[in-house]
Amino acid sequence: MSDDFRASLELQHEIEQWYYREARLLDGREYQKWLALCAPEIRYVVPGRGNPLVDNALRGTEEMISVERELEERDGDRLPIRDETLPYLMLRVERAFKPNSWSENPPARTRRLVGNVEITGTEGETFSVVSAFHLHWTRPGSATFLYAGQRRDVLARAEGGSAGDLRIVRREVILDMADIEYPTLGLFF
Amino acid sequence: MGASPPRVADVVNADATLIGRKAWSDPGLYELEKKGIFGKSWLFLAHETQIPNPGDFVQAYMCETPIIVARGRDGGIHANVNSCVHRGLPVCRADHGNAKSFVCPYHSWSYSVEGKLQSIPQERHVEGRTDKSKLSLKAVPRVETWHGMIFGSFDPEIEPLEQYLGDQRWYLDAFFERFENGIEFVGSPQRWVLNANWKLPMENQLGDVNHGPFLHAAVIPPEANAEVFDHGYSCVAQPGHGATFRLMPEDAPLESVAWGFEGMASLLSPEIHEYLRELQMKAEERVGPIRARMKGLTYGVYPNLSFLWSNTAFKVSHPRGPGKVEYWSWSVVPSDAPEEYKRILRGNHTAFFGPGGLLEQEDSEAWTQQYLGSAIDFADDRPYFYGLGVGEEKPHPDLPGLVSVTANEFYARNFYLRWRDALMAVEEG
Repeated sequence: MSDDFRASLELQHEIEQWYYREARLLDGREYQKWLALCAPEIRYVVPGRGNPLVDNALRGTEEMISVERELEERDGDRLPIRDETLPYLMLRVERAFKPNSWSENPPARTRRLVGNVEITGTEGETFSVVSAFHLHWTRPGSATFLYAGQRRDVLARAEGGSAGDLRIVRREVILDMADIEYPTLGLFF
Repeated sequence: MGASPPRVADVVNADATLIGRKAWSDPGLYELEKKGIFGKSWLFLAHETQIPNPGDFVQAYMCETPIIVARGRDGGIHANVNSCVHRGLPVCRADHGNAKSFVCPYHSWSYSVEGKLQSIPQERHVEGRTDKSKLSLKAVPRVETWHGMIFGSFDPEIEPLEQYLGDQRWYLDAFFERFENGIEFVGSPQRWVLNANWKLPMENQLGDVNHGPFLHAAVIPPEANAEVFDHGYSCVAQPGHGATFRLMPEDAPLESVAWGFEGMASLLSPEIHEYLRELQMKAEERVGPIRARMKGLTYGVYPNLSFLWSNTAFKVSHPRGPGKVEYWSWSVVPSDAPEEYKRILRGNHTAFFGPGGLLEQEDSEAWTQQYLGSAIDFADDRPYFYGLGVGEEKPHPDLPGLVSVTANEFYARNFYLRWRDALMAVEEG
């Protein structure tokens, strides 16, 4: 991640619009259309978020309190909440359209706000983007929950694709939870 | 004060075919559970692979009591209550790590990883000397291990762990003994807080595989369910424990018997198939002809440990009051598997179980809804029916304990009879 990368206004606009459309598809339960935004090689990861031991040797440094230290599972060597490829996401989408997926019958009502969209780098037609989200979630008979987190995405313009024709190649979802007191973390964040 | 709890004998009838709703929702019965069950049983704490080196520690719970499980400088395993003897604050805040000592934030009293009080900073400003040897962290009085599984008990008089597990070991060994170098718990557990009673997740894993075709119909294919009906067994080695599995036919293709072929991970990753085949080819030599054909489903160890063989997760159901549970899940892999295979196999757990799991999404919904149903008024004359298959369980020539089809709810009746006995013992003082 580079702190001094400057995206063009045009690219910034294209990517922000793409995120708004993605949020609208997910909140509108148009999951098949959302799935079409995923690249065949997508890796979708939700790391666990732990409470590491404070390392006294790091005192006074930003590393001592860094978010990264809490994501001990992010490299895949420990236990993430989720670590999925396209077939897993397809299974989740397929499930959503079955009347006997009881935890979503009736389905949840969601609203995603995506903001702080920062393009941190490009490589050809591939873009690294960090953004923040709030996801409001409720179901009949259930309490209301607010999921908050950060997405660290790699988006790629589809081959020969026009502006706005982007696919998710990698998505890492950093959830700002302490204890997991949500009914599910099986959503499309 | 609320109303006094109902009499245990009125909540669970003599053969546990009827169980009153209050068993899951009454605060008074929950207090009896703490004394009669969580104060008297072997409770799972951690696996030795999580704390290989001196100073390594992980957090655990025994009921609602926080425990530090640490590898001491002496190489031994120490389990202590995570609460300072001075003012009661936790002396350890991290989930896991490697420590030289545990220090209370309030007045900096510090303890060795073994739990001994080492220093009281304020002591030098007073004249008297304090006998620190009497001020250790409260040690869990009994700690024993089996196959690297660390258990603790608050009951100093409890029977040895191996005896407590009894013939359940035969069923657990069918899994553990398959792997030449044992198994490894991968990383920290997923910890999920649900508005449900602790007993229902436990009951679910003890033997309730028959909710699968119904609750999970959106995900589990009918073929998988047919295999459970055709070859499935439910076994109770000792009341309170349970094991379910399929005993596959002798001529079944290797891939349909072998551990690890079930689930998406191996379906999507053919590179792992040769490894899994080789494991199965060694199975008969390692666990014998019957257990080599066992394809496990779910296991339960009284009171709150379960093992989901099919998706290779260990789980503990930690109560947080009658209506709340903190459900922990660990992924388990063969400890000598190549790293990439461990990562692949882990997906069989994380995609389907735990807080992000496709299947457990439905289970957690059922468990929270069951708690709501258990907490309603004016329905105490409709206790839950646990009578399916009464008396149909029998001894089996090849399998220890009592054995039946998976639809027989005897695993649950046995669990609740043990629960009944344990709570009545407290009631009677």
